[in-house]
Amino acid sequence: MIENLLFWTCCLVTVTGAIGAATMRNLFHAALMLGLCLAGVAGLYLFLEASYLACIQVIVYIGGILVLVLFATLFSSDIKGAVQRTPLWLRLSGLVGAGLAALVAGRLAQIAIAHAANLDRTRSQPGQLPDVIDGTRAIGDLLVGPWLVPFLVAAMLLTAALVGAVAIVTRYRRKP
Amino acid sequence: MSIPGPDSLSAYLGVAAVLFSAGVLAMATRRNAIGVLLGLELMLNAAALQFAAYGRFRADGLDPQGQTAAVFVIVVAAAEAAVALALLFAVYRTSKDVDLEQTRELRS
Repeated sequence: MIENLLFWTCCLVTVTGAIGAATMRNLFHAALMLGLCLAGVAGLYLFLEASYLACIQVIVYIGGILVLVLFATLFSSDIKGAVQRTPLWLRLSGLVGAGLAALVAGRLAQIAIAHAANLDRTRSQPGQLPDVIDGTRAIGDLLVGPWLVPFLVAAMLLTAALVGAVAIVTRYRRKP
Repeated sequence: MSIPGPDSLSAYLGVAAVLFSAGVLAMATRRNAIGVLLGLELMLNAAALQFAAYGRFRADGLDPQGQTAAVFVIVVAAAEAAVALALLFAVYRTSKDVDLEQTRELRS
């Protein structure tokens, strides 16, 4: 029952965030709604037994891409004269976000408690990784096994993107 | 008919479909380049969610290949965000705004 409730909260938050990000008039608010949506997807990953993906979602998307997008809204002239004081709905959505974070933390704790016995058992054997946290270990095995070439290509793609971004920015730097 | 819960593939696919539709809507209607970027992120998220969902609901249990594919989708999204923001910066330098209707060139 509580599982269903958590699941549908995550779904609702994701869908609300997505629709808000697509339709909000103020770009800054739209970016904040995108953050809500990304957090909801992280919760869904937990339900899919993909705790590694949930962590990556929070670190890369919410911690990296969303912050970049929030900075980028400063480039836009739409944002001029935006809200001076926090409107009620923004405060309410902050509350909802805090509640969602609590729900995700609760779900993590639930998983941890469910596997506590296993973890204790494996901890007594040094040199052996506990294989209870979903498919995280399997992902590692795949990345350095059958998926090694895509893994290296992804590394090259990231390097190229980084170098390209720096090249574009320096090419258009204002002349002194 | 029972309400689908966390153990049904259709619920995840529905959420992913809504995410993708919202992304397409944002890309089609936003005039601001940052809005388009927002839509792109939504669409990539929908794709990653579907990979993870299909990998979870294989007939023979959890298949980690779905999650691995989702990791690659996230990598592509990160690379795309870096390049897109550099381009935004270049557009802003030349035209002082990132309105896609007004932008004609990237040359200063």
